[in-house]
Amino acid sequence: MRIKDLTKRYDGKIVVDSVSFQIPKGKVISLIGPNGAGKSTVMGMISRLIARDSGMVDFEGQDIGRWKSKELSKRLAILTQSNNIQMKLTVRELVAFGRFPYSGGRITAEDQAIIDQAIEYMELQDFQDRFIDELSGGQRQRAYIAMVIAQDTEYVLLDEPTNNLDIYHATNMMKIVRRLCDELGKTVILVLHDINYAAFYSDYICAFVDGKIAKFGTVKEVMTKETLSEIYKVDFEMMEIGGKPLSVYY
Amino acid sequence: MRTAAYRANIRKLAVLFLIVLAAAVAYMVVDVNFCNEKLFHYSMKIRTPKLIVMLITAFAIGGASIVFQSIINNTIVTPCLLGMNSLYTLVHTAVVFVAGSGSLLAVNANLSFAVDLVVMGAAAMVIYGYLFRKTKHNVLYVLLIGTVLTSFFSSIQTSLTRVMDPNEYDALLTTLVASFSNVNSEIILFCFIVLGGVIFALRKELSLLNVLTLGKDQAINLGVDYDRCVRRLLLGVTLCIAAATAMVGPISFLGLIIANLSRQLLKTYRHEQLILGSALFGMIVLVGGQLIVEHVFTYSVPVSVFITVGGGFYFLYLLLTNRRA
Amino acid sequence: MNASRMMTAVLLICLAVLSVLSLFVGVIDINPVSLLTGDLEQLEIFLISRLPRLLAILCTGVGMSVAGLIMQQLCMNKFVSPTTGATISSAQLGILLALLFWPGSTLWGRALFAFAAAILGTWIFVWFIQRIQFKDVIMVPLVGIMFGNVIGGITNYLAYKYEMTQALSSWLVGHFSLVLRGRYEIVYLVVPLVILAFLFANHFNIVGMGRDFSKNLGVPYNLVLFAGLTIAAMITASVIVVVGSISYIGLIVPNLVAMFKGDKIRGTLVDTALFGAIFVLVCDMLGRTVIAPYELPIELIVGIVGSILFIGLLFYRLKNGRKAVRLGGLGTSGCSVTASQAASSLEGGDLS
Repeated sequence: MRIKDLTKRYDGKIVVDSVSFQIPKGKVISLIGPNGAGKSTVMGMISRLIARDSGMVDFEGQDIGRWKSKELSKRLAILTQSNNIQMKLTVRELVAFGRFPYSGGRITAEDQAIIDQAIEYMELQDFQDRFIDELSGGQRQRAYIAMVIAQDTEYVLLDEPTNNLDIYHATNMMKIVRRLCDELGKTVILVLHDINYAAFYSDYICAFVDGKIAKFGTVKEVMTKETLSEIYKVDFEMMEIGGKPLSVYY
Repeated sequence: MRTAAYRANIRKLAVLFLIVLAAAVAYMVVDVNFCNEKLFHYSMKIRTPKLIVMLITAFAIGGASIVFQSIINNTIVTPCLLGMNSLYTLVHTAVVFVAGSGSLLAVNANLSFAVDLVVMGAAAMVIYGYLFRKTKHNVLYVLLIGTVLTSFFSSIQTSLTRVMDPNEYDALLTTLVASFSNVNSEIILFCFIVLGGVIFALRKELSLLNVLTLGKDQAINLGVDYDRCVRRLLLGVTLCIAAATAMVGPISFLGLIIANLSRQLLKTYRHEQLILGSALFGMIVLVGGQLIVEHVFTYSVPVSVFITVGGGFYFLYLLLTNRRA
Repeated sequence: MNASRMMTAVLLICLAVLSVLSLFVGVIDINPVSLLTGDLEQLEIFLISRLPRLLAILCTGVGMSVAGLIMQQLCMNKFVSPTTGATISSAQLGILLALLFWPGSTLWGRALFAFAAAILGTWIFVWFIQRIQFKDVIMVPLVGIMFGNVIGGITNYLAYKYEMTQALSSWLVGHFSLVLRGRYEIVYLVVPLVILAFLFANHFNIVGMGRDFSKNLGVPYNLVLFAGLTIAAMITASVIVVVGSISYIGLIVPNLVAMFKGDKIRGTLVDTALFGAIFVLVCDMLGRTVIAPYELPIELIVGIVGSILFIGLLFYRLKNGRKAVRLGGLGTSGCSVTASQAASSLEGGDLS
């Protein structure tokens, strides 16, 4: 996936300013940056949820806007934060929606098997007949991830998946992200607020400031004292745990 | 996935269907003189079209309300707020105003209904189509504008009647008091065709309803052309409500009551069941209500007044019980 | 500050000119010269009909728009008003009850019923919407309209049952044609109520910021909230008893003024009142001239003009979000922190 000169304005104000980068396949890529840096907007534009003003998103040789929506949904899945359904929906039924791009409303035996796998993968067997609105935040988030797994796409886009989760659930979520990449071979792109999660669990980091890319590279390249201080305008100290750079800010 | 809940819902729907059947039979036979063949035929002739009209109305309003609520992900609103009622009254008045009460357009009931429905349908498509586009499908805004349009239309309508010749006004007034009684079989057929056409044209979008309830982002993620789909569905809803209104006049809270009863009873996201349930509830409320109005209150209070008051209290109860509006 | 003062002055001059103009519009030509020379017949028409009408119009305009402003401020929602807050329909129900249970009631008797019903209806509505968390600001007026429909339904039912539809109809469509000396004086109640509102404007502002906010500042939340709503409801009811229902003024006028002047109640109260009076005056003159020698009731004119304006306003807000049309030189940041906070929290739901 190649992104070129992506631009977005709201009310004349530029929020994303000709952003270009290339997403390496089969890796975990984190988009970080201060509030309002445009990372979620970029995420929205590369997943066709937000219309762009100019620029192109080349997805497997074709611009994302020219893909048939249905075909695209077999290759690219996006999970945003706005998931408040008022319907009475069980976990299993939600996961089953992941098969919608393949079989419409009719679930085949093959779909059933994939749904079972997804539920098992996210360890949701015990909850599968519970209603979504009765679950805790962490369980609900896992149910949505299970749906994305059932959607069986090569690319998975997650907008702040750790938002509103406590340390236990957030860390588990990041481990799941890692496994999606390592075990299932998916390319995962996520927007994160916690830079240490980004450092510990991703392969590449793309840092945004004021709608522009401040730095894009491997974790080691981005996670330096100088770069981070420049991006976030506070002082950083770097440490290393388990061979991964971690930061302390104050 | 044929889960236990799914099968339980089928049973519930069957029970509803039986109640509808019972109400319909009761409506047809209560107080009918079976001994006198002439009177019997007369009663049947009067009651059959009324019953059919109620059934169609219930189906149109029930289905439209469920679809509407699902699209905007909000269960305490009803498309009846869009202002169709007053648009209908305005169109009807305007036709009489322009053509005169003696003209063929106003005298011939079928022609008059057809003209009303066509003009109203076209006006509704243009106005609401424009509003949906202009507000970028922010349906709550459209709804608020709808309530404003209600007073806009009715203000113009009342102004027209004030300028009108008093005789013309009298003639108009009799046709404006809409109820289940003054509908004939041609009009029923016409409505049938309209509703059938809408359902046929929207068959693909209707099958996407379940996915739409996941919200805009998820629907797009799963490969649905969201904007187009929602626009078409909303226009369908508009037409259904228009047809129902043109047939029986304003019944503002009916959609709200029956859609929510259906949701409460069935507790599912499956729209085929929800729509069916809503339609069946609508039939029970309308036929049962009419039965009571005709035989207990002897027509002293129109059924729509009951529905408004009863529906109103149900609405307040809903508001209080699910506080996350 | 100067531009703001200037606006008030311009509004005042407009109002004065229009008022004088309004006195001389009508079926019977009255000209100022003969008035001054002491034409008794003309003077009588003038005193019995024209002057009361003008005063009623002014009170209506001032009252309804101030009532709307107070309600919007207290509920922190720009779409709440006597129309969308069940006040008008409650007052109508009150009048019907007076007609039913006290057939010989005077205007004051009916007013009493209307006051009680309007206050109660508004209280219940506000109690209701405070109990529910709305994701979107638009839901509040929608709920209010449905709430009003419920009360209207009850009114309808009673009217049907006791065959009072005819008698009630004159209160359903507001009009000034029956405003004559001796039959309209209740509307003067608007004046002390508006003054009261002006005195407590700052309190209303604080209460609008929420329960915790006002507790923190030592303002008794419930007391001020319900006192404010009572004032708004009483203003509305006293107008409705005399003139009949008039929708939209309470909704549109404060919004239009806020577009130019920002949201702080104290700074906009006078302008809102003046603009409301002008609005009703202009609508009334339209109603009297369009199909002269007959006249269209004010409610119809307001219904047409008001709804067009309101839809325009909605589109404007949809397009521009919160940005007010700032007057040049107003930049004393008169709407201090509180006002801008209010504005931002008001708009919370608008983005969705």
